[in-house]
Amino acid sequence: MRFSDNTISNLRIKLDKGEVSSLDLFNTASALAYKYQDDCNLFVSILDKKDEEKSNSVLSGIPYALKDNISTKGILTTASSNILKDYVPVYDATVYKKLKESGAVLVGKTTLDELAMGGSGITAHTGIVRNPWDKTRQIGGSSSGSVGVVSLDIVPFSIGSDTGDSIRKPAAYCGVVGYKPTYGLISRYGLFAFASSLDHVGVIARNVKDISLVTDIIKGHDDKDMTTLEDDGVKFSDYINKDIGNKKLFYIKEICDYNTVDTDESKLVLDNFYDTVNKVKSLGFSVSEVSIDKDLLNAIYPTYMSISCAEATSNNANLVGIHFGNRIGSKSIDEIMFETRTNGFSELIKRRFILGSYILQRENQEKLYLNACRIRRLLVEKLTDLFKEYDGMIMPATGGIAPKFGDKSDNLSDKYLLLENHLALANFGGFPSITIPSGFVNKMPVAINITSGIKTDAMLLNMASKIENSLGYKNMIVGDDDV
Amino acid sequence: MIDKEKLREYAKKLMFDMKDSEYDTLQKEFDVILKQMDLIGKIDNISSVLPMFYPFELDNVKLREDVVNNELVFDDLLVNTSNVKDNQVVVPKVVE
Repeated sequence: MRFSDNTISNLRIKLDKGEVSSLDLFNTASALAYKYQDDCNLFVSILDKKDEEKSNSVLSGIPYALKDNISTKGILTTASSNILKDYVPVYDATVYKKLKESGAVLVGKTTLDELAMGGSGITAHTGIVRNPWDKTRQIGGSSSGSVGVVSLDIVPFSIGSDTGDSIRKPAAYCGVVGYKPTYGLISRYGLFAFASSLDHVGVIARNVKDISLVTDIIKGHDDKDMTTLEDDGVKFSDYINKDIGNKKLFYIKEICDYNTVDTDESKLVLDNFYDTVNKVKSLGFSVSEVSIDKDLLNAIYPTYMSISCAEATSNNANLVGIHFGNRIGSKSIDEIMFETRTNGFSELIKRRFILGSYILQRENQEKLYLNACRIRRLLVEKLTDLFKEYDGMIMPATGGIAPKFGDKSDNLSDKYLLLENHLALANFGGFPSITIPSGFVNKMPVAINITSGIKTDAMLLNMASKIENSLGYKNMIVGDDDV
Repeated sequence: MIDKEKLREYAKKLMFDMKDSEYDTLQKEFDVILKQMDLIGKIDNISSVLPMFYPFELDNVKLREDVVNNELVFDDLLVNTSNVKDNQVVVPKVVE
Protein backbone atom coordinates (compact mmCIF):
# COMPACT_ATOMS: atom_id res chain seq x y z
CA MET A 1 0.00 0.00 0.00
CA ARG A 2 0.88 3.63 -0.42
CA PHE A 3 -0.63 6.90 0.73
CA SER A 4 -1.81 9.65 -1.56
CA ASP A 5 -1.49 13.34 -0.79
CA ASN A 6 -4.06 14.14 -3.48
CA THR A 7 -6.72 15.14 -0.98
CA ILE A 8 -9.30 17.66 -2.11
CA SER A 9 -7.81 20.27 0.26
CA ASN A 10 -4.28 19.75 -1.09
CA LEU A 11 -5.43 19.87 -4.71
CA ARG A 12 -7.37 23.04 -3.90
CA ILE A 13 -4.20 24.71 -2.59
CA LYS A 14 -2.20 23.64 -5.64
CA LEU A 15 -4.90 24.89 -8.00
CA ASP A 16 -5.22 28.22 -6.17
CA LYS A 17 -1.44 28.75 -6.17
CA GLY A 18 -1.30 27.97 -9.87
CA GLU A 19 1.00 24.99 -9.33
CA VAL A 20 -1.37 22.84 -11.37
CA SER A 21 -4.31 23.58 -13.66
CA SER A 22 -7.59 21.73 -13.84
CA LEU A 23 -6.45 20.50 -17.24
CA ASP A 24 -3.28 19.02 -15.66
CA LEU A 25 -5.40 17.23 -13.05
CA PHE A 26 -7.83 15.99 -15.68
CA ASN A 27 -5.04 14.74 -17.94
CA THR A 28 -3.39 12.87 -15.08
CA ALA A 29 -6.70 11.31 -14.05
CA SER A 30 -7.56 10.39 -17.63
CA ALA A 31 -4.13 8.82 -18.23
CA LEU A 32 -4.51 6.70 -15.08
CA ALA A 33 -8.05 5.75 -16.08
CA TYR A 34 -6.78 4.39 -19.40
CA LYS A 35 -3.75 2.78 -17.74
CA TYR A 36 -5.86 0.56 -15.47
CA GLN A 37 -8.86 0.04 -17.75
CA ASP A 38 -7.73 -3.21 -19.42
CA ASP A 39 -6.80 -4.80 -16.11
CA CYS A 40 -9.64 -3.61 -13.88
CA ASN A 41 -12.50 -2.40 -16.18
CA LEU A 42 -13.45 0.42 -13.80
CA PHE A 43 -15.07 2.65 -16.41
CA VAL A 44 -17.93 2.28 -18.87
CA SER A 45 -16.91 5.59 -20.46
CA ILE A 46 -13.74 7.65 -20.08
CA LEU A 47 -14.61 11.18 -21.19
CA ASP A 48 -12.92 14.06 -22.96
CA LYS A 49 -12.53 17.19 -20.89
CA LYS A 50 -15.34 19.71 -21.03
CA ASP A 51 -14.90 23.33 -19.93
CA GLU A 52 -15.83 23.42 -16.28
CA GLU A 53 -18.23 26.05 -14.97
CA LYS A 54 -16.67 28.99 -13.18
CA SER A 55 -17.10 28.64 -9.43
CA ASN A 56 -15.48 29.56 -6.14
CA SER A 57 -16.33 26.14 -4.74
CA VAL A 58 -13.70 23.97 -3.10
CA LEU A 59 -14.35 21.42 -5.86
CA SER A 60 -13.70 23.77 -8.76
CA GLY A 61 -11.25 22.09 -11.13
CA ILE A 62 -11.16 18.84 -9.12
CA PRO A 63 -11.63 15.63 -11.16
CA TYR A 64 -14.16 12.97 -10.14
CA ALA A 65 -16.13 10.00 -11.46
CA LEU A 66 -19.84 9.14 -11.45
CA LYS A 67 -21.48 5.73 -11.29
CA ASP A 68 -23.05 4.91 -14.64
CA ASN A 69 -26.59 4.78 -13.26
CA ILE A 70 -26.68 8.55 -12.72
CA SER A 71 -28.18 10.63 -15.54
CA THR A 72 -25.80 12.92 -17.42
CA LYS A 73 -27.45 14.78 -20.29
CA GLY A 74 -25.78 13.99 -23.59
CA ILE A 75 -23.37 11.46 -22.03
CA LEU A 76 -23.89 7.73 -22.50
CA THR A 77 -25.37 6.21 -19.32
CA THR A 78 -25.86 2.46 -19.48
CA ALA A 79 -26.42 1.24 -15.90
CA SER A 80 -24.00 -1.47 -17.14
CA SER A 81 -26.91 -3.21 -18.85
CA ASN A 82 -27.29 -4.35 -22.44
CA ILE A 83 -30.82 -2.99 -22.50
CA LEU A 84 -29.42 0.54 -22.05
CA LYS A 85 -26.13 0.06 -23.86
CA ASP A 86 -26.76 3.05 -26.18
CA TYR A 87 -28.92 5.17 -23.86
CA VAL A 88 -28.11 8.88 -23.70
CA PRO A 89 -30.03 10.69 -20.93
CA VAL A 90 -32.01 13.78 -21.81
CA TYR A 91 -31.60 15.48 -18.43
CA ASP A 92 -29.06 15.84 -15.64
CA ALA A 93 -29.37 14.17 -12.26
CA THR A 94 -29.40 16.75 -9.48
CA VAL A 95 -26.17 15.39 -8.00
CA TYR A 96 -24.42 15.79 -11.37
CA LYS A 97 -25.91 19.25 -11.88
CA LYS A 98 -24.63 20.39 -8.49
CA LEU A 99 -21.17 19.01 -9.11
CA LYS A 100 -21.12 20.64 -12.55
CA GLU A 101 -22.11 23.98 -11.03
CA SER A 102 -19.36 23.58 -8.43
CA GLY A 103 -16.80 23.36 -11.22
CA ALA A 104 -15.83 19.73 -10.52
CA VAL A 105 -14.63 17.95 -13.65
CA LEU A 106 -16.14 14.63 -14.68
CA VAL A 107 -13.50 12.14 -15.81
CA GLY A 108 -15.74 9.17 -16.53
CA LYS A 109 -18.77 7.01 -15.80
CA THR A 110 -17.96 3.98 -13.68
CA THR A 111 -18.92 0.34 -14.06
CA LEU A 112 -21.53 -1.21 -11.78
CA ASP A 113 -23.34 -4.47 -11.28
CA GLU A 114 -26.10 -4.42 -13.90
CA LEU A 115 -28.85 -1.94 -12.88
CA ALA A 116 -27.11 -1.68 -9.47
CA MET A 117 -28.46 -5.09 -8.50
CA GLY A 118 -25.67 -7.25 -7.11
CA GLY A 119 -22.63 -7.04 -4.92
CA SER A 120 -19.88 -8.69 -6.93
CA GLY A 121 -18.81 -6.48 -9.82
CA ILE A 122 -19.17 -9.41 -12.21
CA THR A 123 -22.48 -8.66 -13.98
CA ALA A 124 -21.75 -5.51 -16.02
CA HIS A 125 -22.46 -5.75 -19.75
CA THR A 126 -18.88 -4.63 -20.40
CA GLY A 127 -17.34 -7.46 -18.36
CA ILE A 128 -16.12 -8.13 -14.85
CA VAL A 129 -14.49 -5.52 -12.63
CA ARG A 130 -11.33 -6.69 -10.87
CA ASN A 131 -10.13 -5.66 -7.43
CA PRO A 132 -6.96 -3.55 -7.83
CA TRP A 133 -5.50 -5.01 -4.60
CA ASP A 134 -5.64 -8.51 -6.09
CA LYS A 135 -6.98 -9.00 -9.56
CA THR A 136 -7.98 -12.59 -8.85
CA ARG A 137 -10.55 -11.19 -6.45
CA GLN A 138 -13.90 -9.45 -6.78
CA ILE A 139 -14.16 -5.75 -6.03
CA GLY A 140 -17.71 -6.04 -4.74
CA GLY A 141 -20.58 -3.89 -5.86
CA SER A 142 -22.66 -2.50 -7.06
CA SER A 143 -20.58 0.71 -7.00
CA SER A 144 -17.64 -1.35 -8.27
CA GLY A 145 -15.85 1.13 -10.52
CA SER A 146 -16.54 4.04 -8.17
CA VAL A 147 -14.54 2.44 -5.34
CA GLY A 148 -11.79 1.23 -7.67
CA VAL A 149 -11.07 4.65 -9.16
CA VAL A 150 -10.55 6.13 -5.69
CA SER A 151 -8.36 3.25 -4.48
CA LEU A 152 -6.07 3.71 -7.50
CA ASP A 153 -5.73 7.48 -6.99
CA ILE A 154 -7.32 8.15 -10.36
CA VAL A 155 -9.64 10.71 -8.75
CA PRO A 156 -9.95 11.98 -5.15
CA PHE A 157 -13.66 11.17 -4.96
CA SER A 158 -16.49 9.50 -6.79
CA ILE A 159 -20.26 9.19 -6.53
CA GLY A 160 -22.07 5.90 -6.04
CA SER A 161 -25.46 4.58 -5.00
CA ASP A 162 -26.34 2.31 -2.11
CA THR A 163 -29.52 0.24 -1.78
CA GLY A 164 -28.34 -2.54 0.58
CA ASP A 165 -24.59 -1.87 0.99
CA SER A 166 -23.55 -0.98 -2.57
CA ILE A 167 -21.17 1.80 -1.55
CA ARG A 168 -20.09 0.65 1.88
CA LYS A 169 -19.24 -2.99 1.20
CA PRO A 170 -17.12 -2.55 -1.95
CA ALA A 171 -15.42 0.39 -0.18
CA ALA A 172 -14.42 -2.08 2.54
CA TYR A 173 -13.10 -4.58 -0.02
CA CYS A 174 -11.06 -1.82 -1.65
CA GLY A 175 -9.63 0.08 1.34
CA VAL A 176 -11.46 3.38 0.79
CA VAL A 177 -14.08 5.39 2.70
CA GLY A 178 -17.69 4.86 1.61
CA TYR A 179 -20.59 6.91 2.94
CA LYS A 180 -24.32 6.89 2.43
CA PRO A 181 -26.19 9.73 4.10
CA THR A 182 -29.55 9.94 5.83
CA TYR A 183 -32.31 9.08 3.36
CA GLY A 184 -33.32 12.29 1.61
CA LEU A 185 -30.15 14.27 2.36
CA ILE A 186 -28.92 13.92 -1.24
CA SER A 187 -31.44 14.09 -4.07
CA ARG A 188 -32.14 10.89 -6.00
CA TYR A 189 -33.49 12.79 -9.01
CA GLY A 190 -31.78 11.27 -12.03
CA LEU A 191 -30.56 8.15 -10.23
CA PHE A 192 -31.91 5.09 -12.06
CA ALA A 193 -34.30 3.66 -9.50
CA PHE A 194 -33.59 0.17 -8.17
CA ALA A 195 -35.66 0.08 -4.94
CA SER A 196 -36.86 3.60 -4.24
CA SER A 197 -37.51 3.17 -0.51
CA LEU A 198 -33.95 1.91 0.02
CA ASP A 199 -31.93 3.78 -2.65
CA HIS A 200 -29.39 6.43 -1.58
CA VAL A 201 -26.82 8.49 -3.47
CA GLY A 202 -23.51 8.62 -1.60
CA VAL A 203 -19.81 9.47 -1.76
CA ILE A 204 -16.56 7.52 -1.93
CA ALA A 205 -13.21 9.13 -1.02
CA ARG A 206 -9.94 8.36 0.74
CA ASN A 207 -10.68 10.29 3.93
CA VAL A 208 -13.69 11.50 5.88
CA LYS A 209 -12.89 15.21 5.42
CA ASP A 210 -13.14 14.81 1.64
CA ILE A 211 -16.44 12.96 2.06
CA SER A 212 -17.69 15.97 4.07
CA LEU A 213 -16.49 18.52 1.52
CA VAL A 214 -18.27 16.74 -1.32
CA THR A 215 -21.45 16.12 0.68
CA ASP A 216 -21.64 19.82 1.56
CA ILE A 217 -21.88 20.54 -2.17
CA ILE A 218 -24.36 17.85 -3.22
CA LYS A 219 -26.76 17.71 -0.27
CA GLY A 220 -29.89 19.77 0.05
CA HIS A 221 -33.58 19.96 -0.68
CA ASP A 222 -34.60 19.36 -4.29
CA ASP A 223 -38.05 20.17 -5.66
CA LYS A 224 -37.55 17.32 -8.11
CA ASP A 225 -37.26 14.71 -5.35
CA MET A 226 -40.12 15.04 -2.87
CA THR A 227 -38.34 12.78 -0.37
CA THR A 228 -35.44 15.20 0.12
CA LEU A 229 -35.06 16.83 3.52
CA GLU A 230 -35.26 20.54 4.23
CA ASP A 231 -31.84 22.23 4.35
CA ASP A 232 -30.54 22.64 7.89
CA GLY A 233 -27.60 24.88 6.99
CA VAL A 234 -25.03 22.64 8.72
CA LYS A 235 -21.70 22.50 6.92
CA PHE A 236 -20.29 19.04 7.62
CA SER A 237 -16.72 20.03 6.74
CA ASP A 238 -16.78 22.79 9.39
CA TYR A 239 -18.35 20.50 11.98
CA ILE A 240 -15.84 17.72 11.44
CA ASN A 241 -13.15 19.06 13.77
CA LYS A 242 -15.49 20.17 16.54
CA ASP A 243 -14.96 18.71 19.96
CA ILE A 244 -18.08 16.63 20.45
CA GLY A 245 -16.96 15.02 23.68
CA ASN A 246 -16.87 11.35 24.44
CA LYS A 247 -19.45 9.48 22.44
CA LYS A 248 -21.24 6.22 23.15
CA LEU A 249 -21.15 3.42 20.61
CA PHE A 250 -22.49 -0.13 20.59
CA TYR A 251 -22.08 -3.27 18.55
CA ILE A 252 -24.53 -6.14 18.13
CA LYS A 253 -23.32 -9.19 19.99
CA GLU A 254 -25.10 -11.78 17.83
CA ILE A 255 -23.51 -10.46 14.62
CA CYS A 256 -19.97 -10.03 15.97
CA ASP A 257 -19.92 -13.51 17.49
CA TYR A 258 -16.96 -15.83 16.76
CA ASN A 259 -19.47 -18.69 16.75
CA THR A 260 -21.14 -17.30 13.62
CA VAL A 261 -17.99 -17.65 11.51
CA ASP A 262 -16.48 -20.81 10.15
CA THR A 263 -13.20 -19.79 8.52
CA ASP A 264 -9.86 -18.54 9.83
CA GLU A 265 -10.17 -15.57 7.53
CA SER A 266 -13.48 -14.48 9.07
CA LYS A 267 -12.03 -14.95 12.54
CA LEU A 268 -9.19 -12.62 11.56
CA VAL A 269 -11.78 -10.07 10.38
CA LEU A 270 -13.40 -10.25 13.81
CA ASP A 271 -9.96 -9.98 15.47
CA ASN A 272 -9.41 -6.80 13.48
CA PHE A 273 -12.82 -5.52 14.56
CA TYR A 274 -12.19 -6.09 18.28
CA ASP A 275 -8.67 -4.58 17.99
CA THR A 276 -10.25 -1.54 16.36
CA VAL A 277 -12.87 -1.32 19.11
CA ASN A 278 -10.04 -1.18 21.66
CA LYS A 279 -8.37 1.65 19.75
CA VAL A 280 -11.70 3.48 19.59
CA LYS A 281 -12.12 3.09 23.35
CA SER A 282 -8.64 4.52 23.89
CA LEU A 283 -9.83 7.67 22.09
CA GLY A 284 -12.43 8.21 24.78
CA PHE A 285 -15.41 6.56 23.14
CA SER A 286 -17.38 4.05 25.16
CA VAL A 287 -18.27 0.89 23.27
CA SER A 288 -20.95 -1.45 24.64
CA GLU A 289 -22.20 -4.82 23.56
CA VAL A 290 -25.96 -5.01 22.98
CA SER A 291 -28.11 -8.02 22.23
CA ILE A 292 -30.91 -8.24 19.66
CA ASP A 293 -33.21 -11.21 19.03
CA LYS A 294 -31.31 -13.48 16.63
CA ASP A 295 -34.45 -14.55 14.76
CA LEU A 296 -35.05 -10.89 13.95
CA LEU A 297 -31.44 -10.40 12.81
CA ASN A 298 -31.59 -13.54 10.68
CA ALA A 299 -34.48 -11.93 8.83
CA ILE A 300 -32.40 -8.91 7.68
CA TYR A 301 -31.24 -10.48 4.43
CA PRO A 302 -34.55 -12.09 3.34
CA THR A 303 -36.31 -8.84 4.24
CA TYR A 304 -33.88 -6.95 2.05
CA MET A 305 -34.31 -9.41 -0.82
CA SER A 306 -38.09 -9.29 -0.57
CA ILE A 307 -38.45 -5.50 -0.51
CA SER A 308 -35.69 -4.73 -2.99
CA CYS A 309 -36.74 -7.33 -5.59
CA ALA A 310 -40.40 -6.35 -5.32
CA GLU A 311 -39.60 -2.68 -5.85
CA ALA A 312 -37.08 -3.45 -8.61
CA THR A 313 -39.56 -5.53 -10.59
CA SER A 314 -41.91 -2.59 -10.64
CA ASN A 315 -39.31 0.17 -11.15
CA ASN A 316 -37.75 -1.52 -14.17
CA ALA A 317 -41.03 -2.18 -15.95
CA ASN A 318 -40.27 0.92 -18.06
CA LEU A 319 -37.40 -0.85 -19.83
CA VAL A 320 -39.28 -2.13 -22.87
CA GLY A 321 -37.36 -0.76 -25.86
CA ILE A 322 -40.09 1.48 -27.26
CA HIS A 323 -39.16 5.08 -26.42
CA PHE A 324 -35.60 4.30 -25.45
CA GLY A 325 -33.35 1.34 -24.88
CA ASN A 326 -31.90 -1.25 -27.16
CA ARG A 327 -35.00 -2.21 -29.21
CA ILE A 328 -35.09 -5.76 -30.57
CA GLY A 329 -37.90 -7.26 -32.68
CA SER A 330 -40.28 -5.63 -35.13
CA LYS A 331 -43.46 -7.69 -35.59
CA SER A 332 -45.64 -6.27 -32.81
CA ILE A 333 -45.34 -4.11 -29.71
CA ASP A 334 -45.61 -7.19 -27.53
CA GLU A 335 -42.88 -8.93 -29.49
CA ILE A 336 -40.59 -5.87 -29.24
CA MET A 337 -41.04 -5.71 -25.47
CA PHE A 338 -40.57 -9.45 -25.06
CA GLU A 339 -37.48 -9.73 -27.25
CA THR A 340 -35.95 -6.50 -25.92
CA ARG A 341 -36.27 -7.67 -22.33
CA THR A 342 -35.27 -11.27 -23.08
CA ASN A 343 -32.07 -10.13 -24.78
CA GLY A 344 -31.45 -6.97 -22.76
CA PHE A 345 -31.34 -8.34 -19.22
CA SER A 346 -28.73 -10.77 -17.94
CA GLU A 347 -29.72 -13.98 -16.20
CA LEU A 348 -29.15 -12.61 -12.70
CA ILE A 349 -31.43 -9.63 -13.29
CA LYS A 350 -34.16 -11.88 -14.65
CA ARG A 351 -33.89 -14.13 -11.61
CA ARG A 352 -34.28 -11.14 -9.29
CA PHE A 353 -37.29 -9.87 -11.26
CA ILE A 354 -38.96 -13.27 -11.12
CA LEU A 355 -38.39 -13.38 -7.39
CA GLY A 356 -39.90 -9.89 -7.08
CA SER A 357 -42.89 -10.96 -9.15
CA TYR A 358 -43.34 -14.12 -7.06
CA ILE A 359 -43.27 -12.07 -3.85
CA LEU A 360 -45.90 -9.70 -5.21
CA GLN A 361 -48.34 -12.40 -6.38
CA ARG A 362 -51.62 -12.08 -4.52
CA GLU A 363 -51.18 -15.45 -2.82
CA ASN A 364 -47.65 -14.58 -1.55
CA GLN A 365 -47.91 -10.88 -0.86
CA GLU A 366 -49.07 -11.09 2.76
CA LYS A 367 -46.56 -13.75 3.77
CA LEU A 368 -43.51 -12.52 1.87
CA TYR A 369 -43.85 -8.84 1.02
CA LEU A 370 -45.95 -7.39 3.83
CA ASN A 371 -44.27 -9.51 6.49
CA ALA A 372 -40.89 -8.26 5.20
CA CYS A 373 -42.17 -4.69 5.55
CA ARG A 374 -43.26 -5.55 9.11
CA ILE A 375 -39.81 -6.97 9.93
CA ARG A 376 -38.37 -3.77 8.51
CA ARG A 377 -40.37 -1.77 11.04
CA LEU A 378 -39.30 -3.98 13.97
CA LEU A 379 -35.64 -3.67 13.04
CA VAL A 380 -35.80 0.08 12.43
CA GLU A 381 -37.69 0.71 15.68
CA LYS A 382 -35.14 -1.38 17.58
CA LEU A 383 -32.23 0.60 16.16
CA THR A 384 -34.03 3.93 16.60
CA ASP A 385 -34.49 3.10 20.27
CA LEU A 386 -30.80 2.21 20.59
CA PHE A 387 -29.82 5.50 18.92
CA LYS A 388 -31.67 7.32 21.71
CA GLU A 389 -29.25 5.79 24.19
CA TYR A 390 -26.14 5.55 21.99
CA ASP A 391 -24.57 7.93 19.45
CA GLY A 392 -23.79 5.22 16.95
CA MET A 393 -23.28 1.56 16.10
CA ILE A 394 -19.82 0.24 15.23
CA MET A 395 -19.60 -3.05 13.32
CA PRO A 396 -17.28 -4.99 11.02
CA ALA A 397 -18.23 -3.91 7.48
CA THR A 398 -17.95 -7.43 6.06
CA GLY A 399 -17.57 -11.01 7.18
CA GLY A 400 -14.46 -11.60 5.10
CA ILE A 401 -12.06 -10.10 2.59
CA ALA A 402 -13.01 -9.61 -1.07
CA PRO A 403 -13.94 -13.07 -2.41
CA LYS A 404 -12.06 -14.80 -5.21
CA PHE A 405 -13.92 -15.14 -8.49
CA GLY A 406 -15.89 -18.35 -8.33
CA ASP A 407 -15.98 -18.50 -4.52
CA LYS A 408 -19.27 -19.94 -3.28
CA SER A 409 -20.84 -19.09 0.05
CA ASP A 410 -23.42 -20.94 2.08
CA ASN A 411 -26.33 -18.55 1.76
CA LEU A 412 -28.13 -20.07 4.72
CA SER A 413 -25.22 -19.83 7.15
CA ASP A 414 -25.16 -17.47 10.12
CA LYS A 415 -22.12 -15.76 8.65
CA TYR A 416 -23.93 -15.00 5.39
CA LEU A 417 -27.20 -13.96 7.01
CA LEU A 418 -25.63 -11.80 9.72
CA LEU A 419 -22.04 -10.70 9.21
CA GLU A 420 -22.18 -10.38 5.42
CA ASN A 421 -25.50 -8.60 5.09
CA HIS A 422 -26.20 -6.45 8.16
CA LEU A 423 -25.33 -3.19 6.38
CA ALA A 424 -28.84 -3.20 4.86
CA LEU A 425 -30.13 -2.13 8.29
CA ALA A 426 -29.04 1.43 7.47
CA ASN A 427 -31.09 1.34 4.26
CA PHE A 428 -34.19 0.04 6.03
CA GLY A 429 -34.20 3.04 8.38
CA GLY A 430 -32.46 5.61 6.18
CA PHE A 431 -29.71 5.88 8.82
CA PRO A 432 -26.42 7.58 7.82
CA SER A 433 -23.64 5.01 7.58
CA ILE A 434 -19.94 5.09 6.77
CA THR A 435 -17.25 2.47 6.17
CA ILE A 436 -13.62 3.29 6.96
CA PRO A 437 -10.54 1.08 6.41
CA SER A 438 -9.30 -0.59 9.60
CA GLY A 439 -6.45 -2.81 8.47
CA PHE A 440 -5.57 -5.91 6.48
CA VAL A 441 -6.34 -9.61 6.56
CA ASN A 442 -4.32 -11.84 4.26
CA LYS A 443 -2.97 -8.73 2.49
CA MET A 444 -6.47 -7.50 1.63
CA PRO A 445 -8.13 -4.43 3.18
CA VAL A 446 -10.87 -4.79 5.78
CA ALA A 447 -13.03 -2.10 7.33
CA ILE A 448 -15.34 -1.08 10.11
CA ASN A 449 -18.72 0.53 9.63
CA ILE A 450 -20.35 3.20 11.80
CA THR A 451 -24.06 3.95 11.58
CA SER A 452 -26.03 6.55 13.54
CA GLY A 453 -29.55 7.93 13.91
CA ILE A 454 -31.29 9.77 11.09
CA LYS A 455 -30.19 13.36 10.47
CA THR A 456 -27.06 12.96 12.63
CA ASP A 457 -24.71 12.87 9.62
CA ALA A 458 -22.54 15.72 10.93
CA MET A 459 -21.89 13.87 14.18
CA LEU A 460 -21.31 10.58 12.33
CA LEU A 461 -18.69 12.16 10.08
CA ASN A 462 -17.06 13.85 13.08
CA MET A 463 -16.81 10.51 14.93
CA ALA A 464 -15.57 8.71 11.80
CA SER A 465 -12.90 11.34 11.24
CA LYS A 466 -11.59 11.00 14.80
CA ILE A 467 -11.50 7.23 14.51
CA GLU A 468 -9.91 7.34 11.07
CA ASN A 469 -7.09 9.55 12.39
CA SER A 470 -6.16 6.92 14.94
CA LEU A 471 -6.20 3.85 12.68
CA GLY A 472 -3.43 4.73 10.23
CA TYR A 473 -5.15 3.99 6.91
CA LYS A 474 -6.28 7.49 5.97
CA ASN A 475 -5.57 8.38 2.31
CA MET A 476 -4.45 4.81 1.59
CA ILE A 477 -4.16 3.72 -2.05
CA VAL A 478 -3.17 0.54 -3.80
CA GLY A 479 0.62 0.24 -3.95
CA ASP A 480 2.56 -0.21 -7.18
CA ASP A 481 3.47 -3.72 -6.10
CA ASP A 482 -0.19 -4.59 -5.62
CA VAL A 483 -1.36 -3.62 -9.12
CA MET B 1 -39.43 -27.43 -4.84
CA ILE B 2 -41.15 -24.78 -6.89
CA ASP B 3 -42.55 -25.93 -10.24
CA LYS B 4 -40.42 -24.87 -13.23
CA GLU B 5 -43.51 -24.17 -15.31
CA LYS B 6 -44.67 -21.77 -12.63
CA LEU B 7 -41.36 -19.89 -12.93
CA ARG B 8 -41.79 -19.78 -16.71
CA GLU B 9 -45.24 -18.29 -16.17
CA TYR B 10 -43.84 -15.53 -13.95
CA ALA B 11 -41.18 -14.75 -16.56
CA LYS B 12 -43.83 -14.48 -19.29
CA LYS B 13 -45.81 -12.05 -17.14
CA LEU B 14 -42.67 -9.95 -16.88
CA MET B 15 -42.32 -10.02 -20.67
CA PHE B 16 -39.14 -12.06 -21.01
CA ASP B 17 -37.96 -15.64 -21.30
CA MET B 18 -34.87 -17.52 -20.15
CA LYS B 19 -32.94 -20.54 -21.35
CA ASP B 20 -33.93 -23.95 -19.97
CA SER B 21 -30.66 -24.21 -18.06
CA GLU B 22 -31.34 -20.81 -16.50
CA TYR B 23 -34.71 -22.02 -15.21
CA ASP B 24 -32.88 -24.98 -13.64
CA THR B 25 -30.53 -22.56 -11.84
CA LEU B 26 -33.47 -20.42 -10.74
CA GLN B 27 -35.37 -23.43 -9.46
CA LYS B 28 -32.42 -24.40 -7.25
CA GLU B 29 -31.95 -20.78 -6.15
CA PHE B 30 -35.62 -20.56 -5.22
CA ASP B 31 -35.15 -23.50 -2.92
CA VAL B 32 -32.56 -21.53 -0.90
CA ILE B 33 -34.43 -18.23 -1.15
CA LEU B 34 -37.69 -19.75 0.09
CA LYS B 35 -35.80 -21.22 3.07
CA GLN B 36 -34.41 -17.74 3.74
CA MET B 37 -37.91 -16.30 3.36
CA ASP B 38 -39.15 -18.73 6.01
CA LEU B 39 -36.99 -16.72 8.45
CA ILE B 40 -39.37 -13.81 7.92
CA GLY B 41 -42.27 -15.87 9.23
CA LYS B 42 -40.41 -16.97 12.37
CA ILE B 43 -41.15 -13.79 14.30
CA ASP B 44 -43.98 -14.04 16.84
CA ASN B 45 -47.12 -11.97 16.26
CA ILE B 46 -45.65 -10.47 13.11
CA SER B 47 -49.09 -9.92 11.62
CA SER B 48 -49.91 -7.35 14.30
CA VAL B 49 -47.06 -5.06 13.20
CA LEU B 50 -47.77 -2.17 10.83
CA PRO B 51 -45.80 -2.66 7.58
CA MET B 52 -43.10 -0.03 6.90
CA PHE B 53 -42.85 1.12 3.28
CA TYR B 54 -40.29 3.90 3.60
CA PRO B 55 -37.48 4.66 6.06
CA PHE B 56 -39.10 7.31 8.27
CA GLU B 57 -41.96 9.74 8.42
CA LEU B 58 -41.21 12.77 6.28
CA ASP B 59 -42.60 15.94 7.79
CA ASN B 60 -41.85 18.31 4.94
CA VAL B 61 -43.59 16.65 2.00
CA LYS B 62 -45.67 19.15 0.15
CA LEU B 63 -46.80 19.36 -3.43
CA ARG B 64 -44.95 22.01 -5.41
CA GLU B 65 -46.72 24.58 -7.51
CA ASP B 66 -47.96 23.22 -10.81
CA VAL B 67 -45.91 25.38 -13.19
CA VAL B 68 -45.13 24.80 -16.84
CA ASN B 69 -41.61 23.48 -17.23
CA ASN B 70 -40.57 22.53 -20.73
CA GLU B 71 -37.44 20.80 -19.59
CA LEU B 72 -37.60 18.11 -22.25
CA VAL B 73 -37.72 19.03 -25.92
CA PHE B 74 -38.49 16.76 -28.88
CA ASP B 75 -34.96 16.79 -30.26
CA ASP B 76 -33.66 15.49 -26.94
CA LEU B 77 -36.45 13.02 -26.38
CA LEU B 78 -36.10 11.33 -29.74
CA VAL B 79 -32.35 10.82 -29.53
CA ASN B 80 -32.76 7.38 -27.98
CA THR B 81 -34.99 5.84 -30.59
CA SER B 82 -33.99 5.09 -34.14
CA ASN B 83 -37.42 5.00 -35.72
CA VAL B 84 -39.09 8.42 -35.66
CA LYS B 85 -41.65 10.07 -37.93
CA ASP B 86 -43.22 13.52 -37.42
CA ASN B 87 -41.93 13.74 -33.84
CA GLN B 88 -43.47 10.40 -32.97
CA VAL B 89 -41.91 7.03 -32.17
CA VAL B 90 -42.85 4.50 -34.85
CA VAL B 91 -44.11 1.10 -33.70
CA PRO B 92 -45.65 -1.83 -35.60
CA LYS B 93 -49.31 -1.48 -36.50
CA VAL B 94 -51.54 -2.28 -33.55
CA VAL B 95 -54.77 -2.60 -35.56
CA GLU B 96 -54.46 -4.57 -38.78
